[in-house]
Amino acid sequence: MSVSAEITPSVSPENVEEAEKMKEEANNCFRKQDYNKAIDLYSKAIELNPSVAVYYGNRSIAYLKTECFGYALNDASKAIELDKTYVKGYYRRAGAHMSLGKFKLALRDYEAVTKAKPNDADAKIKYTECSKIVKQVAFERAIRVDDTKRSVADSINLENMVIEDEYSGPMLEDGKVTFAFMQHLMKTYKEQGKLHRKYAYKILLDVKQLFMSQPSLVEITVPDDSKFTICGDIHGQFYDLMNIFDLNGLPSPSNPYLFNGDFVDRGSFSVECIFTLFGFKLLYPEHFFMSRGNHESQTMNQMYGFEGEVKAKYTAQMSELFTEVYNWLPLAHCLNGKVLVMHGGLFSRDDVTLDEISKIDRNRQPPEEGLMCELLWSDPQPQVGRAPSKRGVGVQFGPDVTKKFLELNGLDYVIRSHEVKNDGYEVAHDGKCITVFSAPNYCDTMGNKGSFIVLKGKDMQPHYTTYEAVPHPNVKPMAYANSLLSLIC
Amino acid sequence: MSSMAFNEGVQATNDDASECKRCAVQLGYWEDRYISLFVRAGEKKTPEINRGYYARAKGVEMFIDKFLKKSGSERQIVNLGSGFDTLYWRLKDSNKNVTNFIEVDFPSVTARKCYLIKRNKVLLDKIHMEDGEVRLSATDLHAGNYHIVGVDLRNLHEVEVKLNESEVKFNMPTLFLAECVLVYIDAPKVEQLLSWIAKKFDSPLFVNYEQVNMGDKFGDVMLRNLRARGCPLAGVGACQSLNTQRQRFLRAGWNGSLSWDMVEVYAALPASDRQRIENIEFLDEQELLVQLFQHYCICIAWKGEMFSKIDIT
Repeated sequence: MSVSAEITPSVSPENVEEAEKMKEEANNCFRKQDYNKAIDLYSKAIELNPSVAVYYGNRSIAYLKTECFGYALNDASKAIELDKTYVKGYYRRAGAHMSLGKFKLALRDYEAVTKAKPNDADAKIKYTECSKIVKQVAFERAIRVDDTKRSVADSINLENMVIEDEYSGPMLEDGKVTFAFMQHLMKTYKEQGKLHRKYAYKILLDVKQLFMSQPSLVEITVPDDSKFTICGDIHGQFYDLMNIFDLNGLPSPSNPYLFNGDFVDRGSFSVECIFTLFGFKLLYPEHFFMSRGNHESQTMNQMYGFEGEVKAKYTAQMSELFTEVYNWLPLAHCLNGKVLVMHGGLFSRDDVTLDEISKIDRNRQPPEEGLMCELLWSDPQPQVGRAPSKRGVGVQFGPDVTKKFLELNGLDYVIRSHEVKNDGYEVAHDGKCITVFSAPNYCDTMGNKGSFIVLKGKDMQPHYTTYEAVPHPNVKPMAYANSLLSLIC
Repeated sequence: MSSMAFNEGVQATNDDASECKRCAVQLGYWEDRYISLFVRAGEKKTPEINRGYYARAKGVEMFIDKFLKKSGSERQIVNLGSGFDTLYWRLKDSNKNVTNFIEVDFPSVTARKCYLIKRNKVLLDKIHMEDGEVRLSATDLHAGNYHIVGVDLRNLHEVEVKLNESEVKFNMPTLFLAECVLVYIDAPKVEQLLSWIAKKFDSPLFVNYEQVNMGDKFGDVMLRNLRARGCPLAGVGACQSLNTQRQRFLRAGWNGSLSWDMVEVYAALPASDRQRIENIEFLDEQELLVQLFQHYCICIAWKGEMFSKIDIT
């Protein structure tokens, strides 16, 4: 094992010796499992002699033991930086990566070790072990989605869920959503009440079946004299959703709606939003539509609040069931063969057809590239051509891309959402790419208007309604967690 | 709103700021081994908040470092509205010695900080001087060169008394820090405080982090939100623009002032570190963060020659 004991001109021999003493003491504390003391002593050693990789390496593993994974990672990287031949540094960093669940990164470090020490049996063992974990994680992810026998849906036992006498909330009638149920549901939610979990689970199970029966691209016929309303991002802003229904009427067979993704996350009332929308879907399956947004995914829900809200209001198991339901949400809708609606936008190549979109195998988490990813993540840009997305996922596409796509597929224009707009909507690409965003005063912060689009079957021309945010109850901590500026104080 | 309620609202901002800092630290945005000793882990914050606090912490740190470089070996730091700030311990850890270090906040905040320090060996060890004693009252702490004093910043006379109790040295280069503090105090009182500092101290440098560009809709919404939380921004007049931030100091007798919004400050931080933190959490969109950065700023001001050349580069 190579040890770097570089003596830089500025470190006195006394300090070098003293630092080594600190390290030895620290090692002793470590052995006795006094990790905090060990950290202190390693730190002292570093203060005395800051160029010794071993000190950082050792402190790194002490940090791992105290679950300071961020610090552990920093120290391991620092050790490697000081001495690229310090093999233990790679071990430490791999360890930190493993603890942070970044198995692929850990694998890279283990690989570096095996390359540096091709004859080291231990290194090989660690690499193989890590490799197995990486494969196992990938395998588990794959079978979780494919193997319906292991789905959460199948393990839900509704019979065992009992409705308490005191429950006065909305009740499904014979397990079905009715108009009366929806009225009671919305009223209950406005008063910050709760839907019994038995009904919540039933709705999720039923709506999952419904979405499973729909193709990835849903074709909708809007009769000549019928209207059709398209809404953009809602992001858990339940009271603004209620305002949309106040302004434009409740969904019904003569008042069909399409909600274009991002129903949850960031706002404080995501649970209320999603059950309202799923309820209407079950009530009017042929007149109420929902398209998947990039926030209908596990990683986003973990980071931007939905998973936390579901766990707080219901259970972790329900959170898993949501994932299964979201996996079946259609990816795009085509109205009268003329208007295509998706959450994100268009594609990184030119020859994409509607047929291709309809054939996408969507029952999965959104991938990091490809058609399904781009449908959920892309943004229009003013410049011609394409560019890498400012978001780091998906692509930015120009007016020429939109024009070609529409021509190829015989379409008039696309409607998408995904980007907050000051006026709630924006018309781009010479009228061929329209953004509609329905969450006003996004995150209680942006002060923007919300908007929805109404069109008539006869001419399919977009008409815009814009509106300001309506008040909502202040629910700590979610409201404050999402009200950015209240927190930078 | 009663003054009691107002105070509480403003004091509670320390709880939020400390919790947010701890959250960001735990995710690895920057190092602070002491913040978790003052505040419990809270709800997970969104990536914008973590990045916002990163920019704030590192931006302020950048100017602290510039101060330490220019000040010579005898220097003093006064942190106004310090809350549970851990700067003293972090400076000690990195061997950046300071002659005198004074923290000022509402008595109920300093009381809690003193209590938390008292019962924690790790914290006590670092402020304990070998030959010195630790003088503690309910709200104040004096330990060698580290002082915590509880006083309302709107009461200038009291502030002067407490600073004197903290062995403040008027003729020593002094860094004044204020993170989202002045904005809660109405303009006449702020002017009074800033004028007094400029008059009494020979070589002060003030580093102020707070809101800016508050005249737009975003600013309106922020004002509404904060008011609803019991934090009316009495001093928001100076936060209309980068210019009004500077003017406030110049009118109060400071020789010079510069200001930058957090877009500029963030861009001035080392690229490699920015890349590192941008990889910690994936940000799904930039709009919120950009708006955030455009509505906060760092404004510095100085008197005398020593700090007149400090800039963001």
